[in-house]
Amino acid sequence: MTDRQLILQLKQRDRNALKAVYIDYKTEFLKFMSRYNADTDILEDIFQDALIVLFENAQAGKLDALKSTLKTYLFGTGKFMLFKHFRDARKEVPTEETYLFDKYEQAVIEDVFEDEGLSNYQAKLVANFKKLGDKCREILELFYIQGMKLDEITLTQGYENKDVTKSQKSRCLKSLKQLIGNSNG
Amino acid sequence: MDKDELINGYFEGSLSESQLEEFNSLLEKDVAFTSEFEFQKELQDSLKKQERQEIKELFSNLKDENGKTETKVIKLRPWLAAASIALLAGLAWWFLFNTGEINTEELYAANFAPYDNVIQPIERGDQLEDLKTKAFTAYENEEYPKALELFKELQGKHNEAYIEFYKAMVLMQLNKQEEAIPLLEGYIEKGGELKDRASWYLALAYLKLNRLEDCKEQLNLRISSGTYKTAAAKKLLSQLE
Repeated sequence: MTDRQLILQLKQRDRNALKAVYIDYKTEFLKFMSRYNADTDILEDIFQDALIVLFENAQAGKLDALKSTLKTYLFGTGKFMLFKHFRDARKEVPTEETYLFDKYEQAVIEDVFEDEGLSNYQAKLVANFKKLGDKCREILELFYIQGMKLDEITLTQGYENKDVTKSQKSRCLKSLKQLIGNSNG
Repeated sequence: MDKDELINGYFEGSLSESQLEEFNSLLEKDVAFTSEFEFQKELQDSLKKQERQEIKELFSNLKDENGKTETKVIKLRPWLAAASIALLAGLAWWFLFNTGEINTEELYAANFAPYDNVIQPIERGDQLEDLKTKAFTAYENEEYPKALELFKELQGKHNEAYIEFYKAMVLMQLNKQEEAIPLLEGYIEKGGELKDRASWYLALAYLKLNRLEDCKEQLNLRISSGTYKTAAAKKLLSQLE
């Protein structure tokens, strides 16, 4: 599969594409990064985090005009994270050219790097989200995770117009709040 | 622009500078607006984190499938050997005898690893040593008898559903599958948040006790749900059949 095809699939949140990237680059990534003297466990974690960043930044359209290869982007993300890890552990950070990420991309990298999992409240949100109907889960996922605009959702999901989409979304949020309220009481 | 549209615009990243100003000033003075926005932001964060967690599970399944497993828990390392022996033995049976004999012990060892602590993140050096933190610290440090006591104590005070799940994990680690099974069954029945995980561990507990029909039934549930450990369940089921 070409990089372009992979990126298109990642944008659609296709996890199989992500699996393919994982399998293609894992060995090479670990080998490449081993020059920086980090534990393999840490490198494996960083590899997984870097793939998640790739996944999220692809969805945000950050890879649409990628000038380098997907591999360069992935390895650049890994390096950025490893250097951040070194800085946090007060170790020496190699001085070398790194891939230039814009502010948004850096924020995603840091967010993934620092993600400590769901809080109790967030776990409850997710559990109740899963109880919503298909239509609701779909529209909320497209909007909040995939970052689609209401106009785009209207077009791709066949809603009559933007107002219909908007009120559907707000109905779904309301149901979610009700579910959470019920599970509290 | 109404308030809903301002919030939508924020998430779409489509607010103009003046709209952004309006948005920020509402955040300062309009309580209802702020709480609506925060709810949606929290939802976004939660869904993203959940997706990341699912992706990591996918990766760890991939790792398992590649047979290059290296569990984080050091104590489990000897089981890796067991895992490869189980695989080799499995293949040998298949090719040479195909007798259908199953070594449940080895299959169990190859598949069981205690579930991560997803309830109480532990900050090392944390001052606040409450009971919950203590229990999960013992769990993470593999001090299972101690963890069991602490979970029991915790249950006496809070009785939250997840405690049953982790108590079951500890019991399985201590080779007390008979005691773990009713806990897991109860937890699943109550619809606990980790019920998919619980069903996987229930299948393994049945396996350990050689209750193969019950084990297969749980594995089939895993496969049809398509959520947690689907690939591992398929593999194990094919080894059992």
